[in-house]
Amino acid sequence: MTQSTMRLTVNGNAYDVEAAPDTALLYVLRNDLALNGPKYGCGLGECGACAVLIDGVAARSCVIPIEGCAGREIVTLEGLGSRERPDPVQHAFIREQAAQCGYCLNGMIITTKALLLRSPHPSEAEVLEALRHHLCRCGAHIEIMRAAMRAAGHVVEAQA
Amino acid sequence: MAAPEPTENRESLQGTLSVVRPASPVEAVKFETFIKITADGSVTAYNGHVDLGTGIRTALGQIVAEELDVSFARVVIVLGDTALVPNQGATIASETIQITTVPLRKAAAQARQFLVARAAERLEHAVEDLAIEDGLIRGKDNRSVSYGELIAGETIQLELADDVPLKSADAYTIVGQSVPRVDLPAKATGELVYVHDMRVPGMLHGRVVRPPYAGVDVGDFIGNSLIAVDETSVRDIPGLVAVVRIGDFVGVVAEREENAIKAAAQLKVSWKPVPTLPDLKDIETALRANPSVPRTLIDKGNVDAAIAGAAKPMPRTYIWPYQMHASIGPSCAVADYQDDNTRVWSGTQNPHHLRTELARLIHRREAEIEVIRLEAAGCYGRNCADDVSADAVLLSRAVGRPVRVQLTREQEHAWEPKGTAQLMDVNGGLNADGSVAGYDFATRYPSNGAPTLALLLTGAIPHTPAIFEMGDRTAIPPYDYDNLRVVAHDMPPIVRASWLRGVSALPNTFAHESFIDECASEAGVDPIEYRLRYLKDPRAIDLVNAVAERAGWRPRPVREEKQADGDVVRGRGFAYALYVHSKFPGYGAAWSAWIADVAVNKATGDVSVTRVIAGQDSGLMINPDGVRHQIHGNVIQSTSRALMEEVSFDRTSVTAREWGAYPIIKFPEVPDIDVLMQPRPDQPPLGVGESASVPSAAAIANAIYDATGVRFRELPFTPERILRGLHGEQQSAVEALPAPSPQPPLPSRIWQSPSARRTGAYATAAALCAAVVGIGAAVLPWRAIPPIARPDASVYSQATIARGQQLAALGDCAVCHTSVNGILNAGGRPLPTPFGTIYSTNITPDVDTGIGAWSYPAFERAMREGIHRDGRHLYPAFPYTHFAKTTDADMQALYAYLMAQPAVRAETPSNTLAFPFNLRPLMAGWNALFHTPSAFQPDPTKSEIWNRGAYLVEGLGHCSACHSPRNALGAEMANAHLAGGFAEGWEAPALTSLSRAPIPWNEDELYAYLRTGESRFHGVAAGPMAPVVKELAALPNSDIRAMAVYLASFNDTAIDKPAQQVLAARLEAATGTRTSAASSVGARLYQGACAVCHEVGGAPLFGSRPSLALNSNLHSSVPDNLIQVILHGIAKPAATDLGYMPAFRDSLTDSQIAELAAYLRRQFAPDKPAWTDIHAVVNRIRQE
Repeated sequence: MTQSTMRLTVNGNAYDVEAAPDTALLYVLRNDLALNGPKYGCGLGECGACAVLIDGVAARSCVIPIEGCAGREIVTLEGLGSRERPDPVQHAFIREQAAQCGYCLNGMIITTKALLLRSPHPSEAEVLEALRHHLCRCGAHIEIMRAAMRAAGHVVEAQA
Repeated sequence: MAAPEPTENRESLQGTLSVVRPASPVEAVKFETFIKITADGSVTAYNGHVDLGTGIRTALGQIVAEELDVSFARVVIVLGDTALVPNQGATIASETIQITTVPLRKAAAQARQFLVARAAERLEHAVEDLAIEDGLIRGKDNRSVSYGELIAGETIQLELADDVPLKSADAYTIVGQSVPRVDLPAKATGELVYVHDMRVPGMLHGRVVRPPYAGVDVGDFIGNSLIAVDETSVRDIPGLVAVVRIGDFVGVVAEREENAIKAAAQLKVSWKPVPTLPDLKDIETALRANPSVPRTLIDKGNVDAAIAGAAKPMPRTYIWPYQMHASIGPSCAVADYQDDNTRVWSGTQNPHHLRTELARLIHRREAEIEVIRLEAAGCYGRNCADDVSADAVLLSRAVGRPVRVQLTREQEHAWEPKGTAQLMDVNGGLNADGSVAGYDFATRYPSNGAPTLALLLTGAIPHTPAIFEMGDRTAIPPYDYDNLRVVAHDMPPIVRASWLRGVSALPNTFAHESFIDECASEAGVDPIEYRLRYLKDPRAIDLVNAVAERAGWRPRPVREEKQADGDVVRGRGFAYALYVHSKFPGYGAAWSAWIADVAVNKATGDVSVTRVIAGQDSGLMINPDGVRHQIHGNVIQSTSRALMEEVSFDRTSVTAREWGAYPIIKFPEVPDIDVLMQPRPDQPPLGVGESASVPSAAAIANAIYDATGVRFRELPFTPERILRGLHGEQQSAVEALPAPSPQPPLPSRIWQSPSARRTGAYATAAALCAAVVGIGAAVLPWRAIPPIARPDASVYSQATIARGQQLAALGDCAVCHTSVNGILNAGGRPLPTPFGTIYSTNITPDVDTGIGAWSYPAFERAMREGIHRDGRHLYPAFPYTHFAKTTDADMQALYAYLMAQPAVRAETPSNTLAFPFNLRPLMAGWNALFHTPSAFQPDPTKSEIWNRGAYLVEGLGHCSACHSPRNALGAEMANAHLAGGFAEGWEAPALTSLSRAPIPWNEDELYAYLRTGESRFHGVAAGPMAPVVKELAALPNSDIRAMAVYLASFNDTAIDKPAQQVLAARLEAATGTRTSAASSVGARLYQGACAVCHEVGGAPLFGSRPSLALNSNLHSSVPDNLIQVILHGIAKPAATDLGYMPAFRDSLTDSQIAELAAYLRRQFAPDKPAWTDIHAVVNRIRQE
């Protein structure tokens, strides 16, 4: 497919991107916009490492071509906050030390954010369900759940 | 601790104090540095190990800060850059803290000692009278001097001494504290640069194309199986820089990553046939048949005599499957090749070893290569990180620019060196008093440590199998048996295999701890009490007792039958291990003991581990939270391995290439974990991570035994294995299925086309054929209509042209007359028919190659009669049989629109039709039989809207062209109007009440589907229907409504919306829980690959969420559409709101797709008969 110019709105800024319309959003975010939050994990939408928000809804950017993103608001992990000014969800994940290698962390945070956008006070069952299709191999699930519950406003007890 | 970035140039203008040791002669430098303190007081510490995601960087910072008496924030840790850090071997066996840190800690102590001595001199105090706080040394008189001031402008180099006094543990203030990890804020905000995120100026993107012997690395075919690479197959890829071929190594390089991906997928490579693998579904037979070399590790007492004299002989065999690292991020590397200065950014766990391998690959000295280790996705052993680094070097060398190579998920799964399968035989038995008579243990572990792939593929090293002696980890049981023999049968690999977390200690411990549990049962002794009889190590005994107490363990000399809660029985199991790692006899890491609680569903075979009490004695814990998180991680990962992980193979290669075929544990399956950490601040720190995983499988197996009374001696504990075990190994889950209920006969609902004039005139294809030939021969060619100059479109009003545009959309002109990625309406799209391939023509107004020379009468004749301007017959793939119904006004508007479009010169390729269909004059006979060239006649008995719908559907809309069956001559069967047909390899389902959709179509759902591309009660438009819906967007709502009204009139079984909703809820609820009848392979594929977007009630994701229970394709009599959509995905949905579906053709095998389709059918259309021969259908559609 030939290259063409497409306008994308990412983290509040508009970008004109020269790429074939069927290019997966993930590659444009990473290579053209130098946004490292979303990660390549499977290319099949299975693992969740590439998650971004599209119009406030969690999306798997490895399977969405940029032609499907025209006129939509895309937010990446970088768009939520920074080390200096983290989003409350990011803050909760740092506070709970909710990662080991951290490769899946992008998807965990983005999906928790998406959950809180549609349901500000989710139950534990809802959080589990929201994160069900996000894979973590290091086994940071317990810390991730604690972080998501903390972000959701639940009181998280200290560990023994 | 400061951000982990190298700070190499900082000291150039100031003095430094370094602690070093002589470097190996291969290095470019004379010394390797452990500690460097600069005059500004900053501290950099260098360690040869790397942070694999475990937080080791933070712990090392604590150790250095503690020993040096500086604040944690002052220390920068540099890891894994071969130009900077000492060569301390691979980061394996959890030994960083226990072993690799020792010289670093001494170096820090030595630096402090030197500085304190110097301060004592400067401040004129005795050393004992000095106090240090964050690098500031203060005397009793309050005078002070800082480390930096003591160094000032000097360059001080101390050679690392071995006998440095270290700080005593009771003085620790930083070590032993749960300091937050230094890397997480950057990771949580996308600011940390993983190796995947590395970019260097001028960087290109590479992909590799691996041989078909995926995951196999021994045999004389390795490195010489490539026949040819067809570079012309990727000529059209924009920005393609190179196709690289060296032996069996093939790669592509492009300017943009997505184009490298396309090139790798599109590159035509031919390979020799792949040799057959042993049948790895039967690991025991395969491992017994593999040649081995026995190595006796211990032989104590008289094992043979003891076992011969045992009152109860207990020979047992335990089997461990092939498993994966399954890191979430496939390996990635960037290389910048320069003859004398090659730099490689890598996620390797052993930068120095990798450098040696790369030097061998490119024939350069090690000192000319720098490996810079960046963080990667979690690493649990030898994955593809080194392989991809070598790939990047080869591609960078080929193109003379930096190249980033990202392996695909499929490549990582297929090629990562697996955690090997292992076979453990125990010949043991009990004496009459219940004591262990003897323990004769033999273990088989096939591995060669997996040489770097590029070395093998390029032929740089021989493909002869080496043998790695790694089957001996924790091979000696921790129990003091009087008669004990342990033999490791070292053997070459069968498939690519190397070390994975816990190495052979997990399988060996599975055997040791299962066996002693069996002994306890046989002896009628509580399993913990029985172990304590043989456990002599006081720290082990303390730990076992502490865990038993924490869990409230109730002694159970005899297993009690459990009360079932419905189908669920619960049980509890114990296991203990001391992880002994590294070259035999090795070192012990932390002590670990598990009590696992399980729930087993006896109907479905599902096992859930509900709770784990994990006790550990790690010695001094540098960072207790870090230790806790490592224990959590290892408990979760090893639970996953025990319950569900097993690499699948066919007879040539690895078939598990994505997360459906190799599932890992998901959030809802994670057990509660209670961690008990023994306080041992006075004992040396030990490796903590892997130890916690070692007792896993046995603890779970022993718990399953407690729950069910059945011993499971082979992993993983999948539902089908559990069911087989519960049924006494006789019945498999699948065999236990009830036969599918026969399909009730469908009522006859054959609809007659309202516009058909003839029915049933010719009964058989043979008769038709004869008639066609007979009539065709009698008909003369049609006359040509003279060409005209291209009409001036300005004579038509804008309104007419706009109307024509709508009609063109209704007729889907552009769908057929535009080739893939081609120019609108310029033709050239191949249209496969049963009779051969027809290419659509150019319908732009180009005079020579399009329809620019066509007068309106010529156009109208083509549309109504199927005759080309030049008199040739057109084939009815062009649906003139429908277009004939168009009114004159609409026909003129369509002509006006087409003539107003830009002219494009594009020759149409020749059709490739078989005789006699290549004889166009025969079409006259066809037309005589099947075509009525008259305009649409409204039915006065029907409503105006119905007639409008009929006109749109039967005319330009030509719905029945796809949705009606065709006879042997390719004509729509008039007596089965809209009863379903086939187009472009997709089933076009019946649009009448013959539809097999579980919820009948009604007017509103037809409207919704045609307007938006989605019906809640049926699914989304895919395949050839997606562009149809997209085109229909040009039509007003009133026309779409009219089409819906007309089509709904064929669906007299329709129900209203409330009834639809009730039915939908019932169907979704009924199919929402997995039944015991489900195919487990298919169920796992569904859970891993499909459920994220299709599970009812799942979390919202961008795009629609089609419910499979309601999906028409799953209820069809043929699996074609389901298989089409699985293979090819939905790349161009009718509307972007619907979202996209990825194609699984390169990720799933034919067998997996067949299993998945069979499962989906059984699960979501349980009232329909199973599809037959699905595998063949998958194979056929893949070839199309």
